[in-house]
Amino acid sequence: MNRRELLGGASAAWVAMGLDGVRGLAETPHADELRVGVIGPGSRGQELIRQLLHVPGVQIAAVCDIYEPRYAQVNRLVGSEVPHTKEYRELLGRKDLDAIYIATPLAHHAEHVLAALKTGRPVYGEKAMGFTPEQCAEIYKAASQPGALFQIGHQYRYAPWVRAAVEEIKKGKIGEPTHVYAYWHRNNNWRRQVPSPDPGGTLEHLINWRLYRETSGGLVTELGSHHIDIANWIFDAIPERATGMTSIVRYHDGRTVGDNVQAVFSYPGGRRLMFSSITDNAKMGNELWVYGTEGSVAITIEDATFYYEPKTHTKPVVTGAEVATRGIVTGASYSTKGEMPYRGPGEKLPVTVKEDPTLTACRAFIECVRAKRQPMANARVGYGSAIGAAIANSAVYAEEGIAVPPLPA
Amino acid sequence: MERVSKSATQQVSRWVNVRVWFAVFVLALLASTCSAAEQLFTRVHPAMGTDFTLYIYAADTAAADREAERVFEIVDQLDALLSNYKPDSELSRINHQAAEHAVTTDPETFRFLQVSLAWSARSDGAFDITVGKLMKAWGFFRSTGHVPTDAELAQVRAETGWRRVMLDARTRTVRFTAPGVELDPGGIGKGFAVDAAVKALREDGVHAALLSAGSSTIYGLGAPPAVRGWKVKVPGAGDAGSVISTVVLRDTSLSTANCSEKHFVVHGHQYCHIMDPRTLKPVEGRVQATVIAPSATDSDALSNAMFVLDAAARKRLMRSLPQADAALVVLPDAVVERYRWPGQTIVK
Repeated sequence: MNRRELLGGASAAWVAMGLDGVRGLAETPHADELRVGVIGPGSRGQELIRQLLHVPGVQIAAVCDIYEPRYAQVNRLVGSEVPHTKEYRELLGRKDLDAIYIATPLAHHAEHVLAALKTGRPVYGEKAMGFTPEQCAEIYKAASQPGALFQIGHQYRYAPWVRAAVEEIKKGKIGEPTHVYAYWHRNNNWRRQVPSPDPGGTLEHLINWRLYRETSGGLVTELGSHHIDIANWIFDAIPERATGMTSIVRYHDGRTVGDNVQAVFSYPGGRRLMFSSITDNAKMGNELWVYGTEGSVAITIEDATFYYEPKTHTKPVVTGAEVATRGIVTGASYSTKGEMPYRGPGEKLPVTVKEDPTLTACRAFIECVRAKRQPMANARVGYGSAIGAAIANSAVYAEEGIAVPPLPA
Repeated sequence: MERVSKSATQQVSRWVNVRVWFAVFVLALLASTCSAAEQLFTRVHPAMGTDFTLYIYAADTAAADREAERVFEIVDQLDALLSNYKPDSELSRINHQAAEHAVTTDPETFRFLQVSLAWSARSDGAFDITVGKLMKAWGFFRSTGHVPTDAELAQVRAETGWRRVMLDARTRTVRFTAPGVELDPGGIGKGFAVDAAVKALREDGVHAALLSAGSSTIYGLGAPPAVRGWKVKVPGAGDAGSVISTVVLRDTSLSTANCSEKHFVVHGHQYCHIMDPRTLKPVEGRVQATVIAPSATDSDALSNAMFVLDAAARKRLMRSLPQADAALVVLPDAVVERYRWPGQTIVK
């Protein structure tokens, strides 16, 4: 299977499952309560719990975290005492769980996802799917076994304006898409507060795991994997190569990952994704621009807006006689018009946002669990973005182009 | 986090100069001689359509930062849940779907709705979060004011009323019994956020902090060193800078409802953004209502109810409330009503 077939499969699955995403906006009746266990209820894990509490018939039945203050935070969020443990095997050993959510630090994804899949339960795994290329492949293989149900936490696959924009692109609304320029620019240090005292920096590494190379894929993974996924979706492929650079320009605070990154991904046919993340200026925010031969679309975390290239074509001159008889006037030839971008307001997609995309993604997962269906954001989708991020993360330190392994056989 | 020294004076004077409705006298310079261990820090954070300001005594910048970030993360989370301006908020989701089917929501949002409806019942509908359509009809939602027609108000009447919101605690669901109902958290959301943030500060052992939600809801936690509490001045209706009363907050909150900054004028008539949900019209004949209550959620809602209710109903409501709740209502022509108000009032 080549790359195009790989993601083509995901797209086809998306078309088929698209109705599920739409239906997810309405609350469907449920026969039995579905009991969910959550491994890693930190900031993202708690957001997943919060959204799961909006899905009818779901109970947060147990949580696992090695950082004890999380237990009280979860109890407050859920509104009742949730059984907890520090040992994920103990949580997985419970007989009363119907599905597992995993939102642990990236470097633990493989261990936790593989163990959870081994229990035969449906698994929702936060992005990126795996830390290293080997882990990505291993998770993909395990999650693709018959009977396995795995959804990756790419919630923007479920965002209605992103879906609508990609559908329009695939219909040819901006011609042939050839380039994606994606940005996630922030103006903060990406650091979480650590309780004091912290002898030996234990809590620092536990809480700020995103800042250290041994546990983090850096900005290109933690922020860029969403953009890689959307580029994969648009191009119906995964990257063939990745290159880039990273450095620390502002936050010389002991971190070992860059505070800025620029990565370029090449796709079949010479198409490109450029991803940039900086952490000392937020002007660009979180935007993804898709450039096609006939137009562009800006996809943000709130909406999607289309712009069109000026049409150039030859047309008959109705009053040609004047030019023929009177001639034309000579003068200066300079005009900036051709070099300047279209500055109009653009055409915003008229999509009504009715809920947080993470809620839609969680609801879709729960529906898949109940109906024993494969999710749209499946292991293939997860592999495509995770492998791109993992390779890019190596490439930006090496400052060289590295080939991206294709989907494992 | 900014340390408050000389800048505190500048900050305070800015508040007074721009005629916001409370001047918080932090007394940082005086206090600094009383506590060598802790300093006063401040940070401003935009949320809920206003600026939240935290003043906090902390050992160092790192400790102050830690608390400020926790406080504003809580405020932002509640803004994301309860905003009626954010299309993907939980409140917006409920507004979209609850007329069609019962909507399962999270415990925090459910509690917010329970408290809101309790205040509607307690105030006989003078406080009501189902005023979303009413606010839009009068042009107070992303607009600049509009006097609705009778036909428009008739439509709004069918889409307004707290009794049209049904809560089921067993299933944690909310349902509207009529189409078109829209919740607007404007009269209580900031207080709810302040309470949640103060709870976190207490859990962290903070013993002196003041949190102001755009100055309309303020909580004084503990007291600055060597003083009884956090001093708050309630401005009068007259000259800029005039003060009608000064109170000290210690482990309690203060909220004010008035129309000084959000109103529009048509043909010389001023229309206030605070609505009487029963008449569907802006409240008239009030200057401001200020309330002190241990809970900021309560003081926020109660200040709005006191602004809306008539004199007899105000009296009845205050009689029904705990002794810790106090109110100061300013009416035109410098008429002032006091309900267990702890500070002196000076009316010029």
